Amino acid sequence: MHAETGAGGAGPSDGEIVRAVLAGDRERYAVLVERYRDRYARYAARMLGSTDAAEDAVQDAFVRAYDQLAQCQDPNKFVGWFFLILRNRCFAEQRKGRSHVSLDAAGAVPTGERSDVATETAERRRALQRALMGLTGEQREVFVLKHVEGLSYMEIAERLNTSVASLKMRMHRAYDKLREQLREHA
Amino acid sequence: MTTHDFHPQVKQLLDGELTLTDLPPELRAEGEEALRLLAAVDREPVSLPAVTWRVMAALERKRQRRWTRAAWLLAPALAAAAALVVLLGRPSRPTASAPTGMVTVRFVLVAPGAHQVCVAGTFNRWDPAATPLVRSGSGDLWVATLSLPPGQHQYAFVVDGARWVPDPTAPAIDDGFGRRNSVLTL
Repeated sequence: MHAETGAGGAGPSDGEIVRAVLAGDRERYAVLVERYRDRYARYAARMLGSTDAAEDAVQDAFVRAYDQLAQCQDPNKFVGWFFLILRNRCFAEQRKGRSHVSLDAAGAVPTGERSDVATETAERRRALQRALMGLTGEQREVFVLKHVEGLSYMEIAERLNTSVASLKMRMHRAYDKLREQLREHA
Repeated sequence: MTTHDFHPQVKQLLDGELTLTDLPPELRAEGEEALRLLAAVDREPVSLPAVTWRVMAALERKRQRRWTRAAWLLAPALAAAAALVVLLGRPSRPTASAPTGMVTVRFVLVAPGAHQVCVAGTFNRWDPAATPLVRSGSGDLWVATLSLPPGQHQYAFVVDGARWVPDPTAPAIDDGFGRRNSVLTL
């Protein structure tokens, strides 16, 4: 998951598409949705705890982004701007108390593993996702961005406009809390 | 610091700043526990293929509501016209250029990497080459506008002359030969 990469050299840039949509070619927006829906699906799924909730959040974020497209100050950075809309949507969902712990991640074990190994993998994933849902949204987010999406502290700091030091503090509290919860439910 | 807190050096291990062998022997077991936690992170990709049509359909519904509201304010005749708009994917509306009794329909498909896209259906005797879509700009969006008589039409997109693709935004029925045909009712 990398922000502000545009089209990655293939097809029109995000900026070109945003400008075309604002000029009235609204169907072009589908290209942006196709381009980024899956890139952010995993972030939303891990933040909210289920793929169904992620689908609703990603859809809603794209609709909101369309409605506010004229406010996207730099169309070439559409994806970074969209991420913040999705992030707000995920946090709003959590504030409503609608964190979903359907743990569908448990079903996504690599195929080809022996069934007992696969079951154990699924159970560990399920336990970790359950523990993740016990973190604050801010703690969960930094864990997801670093350990699921593979971003560095520096990249996360740039994206969230915060400092590496505060992210590390958040993450280290998350580590302790995860350990506590995993031990309690072991 | 509680009994659940990881040692600061183990947190550095979790952050990727140290390796297990960098830890003093008395912290190895704790380090292994920390790595087991990270091994349970689910990094499987999440795909939300339905989001594109859901977003575009939501935008279309919002647009129709705006049209309908405006139409009621302007004139009953215009309101009647707005009510004939069909859902996105084949967003259409009666236009002055459409022959009497015909409905102008716009077919839209996002087809990354395609070199040619046609639409074949009951309205052109399923000719896979009779009705090409035009690439919109330099992107992945393909568009064709047709005038069709009211009634039910079945169709599918033909990508690069060989791949038959049902419209992801439209309802579909089995054609009796193992393929899915999209259905458009005007």
